[in-house]
Amino acid sequence: MDNSNSASPPMRRRTRRFSAWTTLVWIAGSLVYLFLILPVLVIVLSAFSPKEYPEFPPTGFSLRWFSAIAGNSDWSGALWNSIVLLVIVTLLTVVLGTTAAYAIARLEFRGKQAIQSLMLSPLMIPQIVLGISLLYVFTGMGLIGTMTGLIIGHVIVAFPYVVRTVSVSVSNLNPKLELASMSLGAGPVKTFFRVSLPLIKPGIVAGGVFSAVTSFGEVSISLFVYSPSTVTVPVRIFNYIEQTYDPAVNAVSVIFIAVAVIALIIIERTIGLTKVM
Amino acid sequence: MAKTIKMKRRNLFSWILLTPSLLFMGIFLILPFLLLLVLSFRDVDGMMTMLPTYSLAQYKEVFTSDIYLRTISSTLWVALLTTAICLVMAYPAAYLLVRSPSKGVRTLFYILLVSPLLTSVVIRTFAWIVILAQNGLVNEVLLKLHIISQPLSLLWNMNAVIIAYVQVMLPFAVLPIATSLGEITPNLRQASMSLGAGRLRTFLKVTLPLTIPGMISGSVIVFSLAAGSYITPLLVGGRLQPLLPLSIYQQVMQISNLPLGAAMSLTLLVFVAIVVAVLGWILKRWEGRMNG
Repeated sequence: MDNSNSASPPMRRRTRRFSAWTTLVWIAGSLVYLFLILPVLVIVLSAFSPKEYPEFPPTGFSLRWFSAIAGNSDWSGALWNSIVLLVIVTLLTVVLGTTAAYAIARLEFRGKQAIQSLMLSPLMIPQIVLGISLLYVFTGMGLIGTMTGLIIGHVIVAFPYVVRTVSVSVSNLNPKLELASMSLGAGPVKTFFRVSLPLIKPGIVAGGVFSAVTSFGEVSISLFVYSPSTVTVPVRIFNYIEQTYDPAVNAVSVIFIAVAVIALIIIERTIGLTKVM
Repeated sequence: MAKTIKMKRRNLFSWILLTPSLLFMGIFLILPFLLLLVLSFRDVDGMMTMLPTYSLAQYKEVFTSDIYLRTISSTLWVALLTTAICLVMAYPAAYLLVRSPSKGVRTLFYILLVSPLLTSVVIRTFAWIVILAQNGLVNEVLLKLHIISQPLSLLWNMNAVIIAYVQVMLPFAVLPIATSLGEITPNLRQASMSLGAGRLRTFLKVTLPLTIPGMISGSVIVFSLAAGSYITPLLVGGRLQPLLPLSIYQQVMQISNLPLGAAMSLTLLVFVAIVVAVLGWILKRWEGRMNG
């Protein structure tokens, strides 16, 4: 950082400034990416730390937080609820989302835009508003604290992701293939199951992964409609951290990060990460 | 003739496919929303029991009480600030994504961008507690380096909420901006530079205006998420931060004044809708100007 650079001739200074500008953008950009991944790094670091509080640089390696949760029946009960929900929600959302996205793409009618916005709206509606409206309606229907209530809430928030990924696949699907199938005598039902569905499979799989991950991590709506017997892992984590600092939560969080990694791999292998948004 | 019959059958089949989703959304999204709207006009007595009468009393309370007015304005301010910070930080990140030298680096950036979307919001927020707490990572490092002698209190304030918001919502800003950046043909920049404009001027006069659509679609998502989340502020900011979602949570879960909570929810929804509509209008006008 001396001032000898200022003696360089003007032309060289110009090229230098060029690369300095680019370097600056690269440094800024890299810092942003570091900021994005920082929480994940911290969680992993703390989960394997032998101390109550995370240290940097780490002083040792320990699995004590993992053994602390492994023997705890409260955590395994919550995990069971979360997995049951994940499976049911993913199946339901994939069926609903795929049929809806496909039908919207193939139909032309007035108000199509509005229906499309409605299907994607749960992404934008404030979660708290979704939460209390469901709380109110479920109270009347007797669904508060039931698995059914949680399933409905999760399907609503996971649904838009499936609609989006399947829409991407349907828009890449050549309509001529369907027309060919129909002109060869297959009806619309047969064409859908034998031609369209296999071709949009990548979008369906990616959508399924998204809804599984969404359901597994959902907390905003679950918090309003759960009961102690239907508590899920994220809700339990929420209740824990709201009251105390428990380092065992770090170990539970690692499970979530592992799930995210698996999801990333599946999405990359199906529709590709670049098509997600 | 046979063709039209076939198309009609196909349309009928498509409608049959669409019906279950429409029914589901109607019963569990639109109906609850309408009931919430009705609920917001209900009166309550001193014991928070709902009365059979309807009035504007709840809205009157929201819009005349100093506390709630302050809460509304700080909610909008925090959401706006989060959006602005996200846009500024998203730009270099999007640039790196578009200009990444190899496919491997590009995939790495995508992984870093998409992984926060796949990790539960509770987990990400918990990580910020670990980082910002009294005996958390930041204080640890600063104490070890002897920069501070007493741990700083970084949690339980609005700054912590904004930091966590930015991290949670940044990918939603980066991805649309990257899409816009990727659509600009390199020729445009080269033309501008060969006509004598410097890098900075080319950026300000050519690149930046062309990415405005991406910036607006990113802002719409970030703003509505930042205005409507309650998990993150509750955990890193505490219950008492003046944010509308927290007030709603408190009214519903602790005070059990459902009609007031409903009125606040609709107020929040209307404010978010206004901002989204204004941004959409700007985008439309901008695209109109660009195309003709």
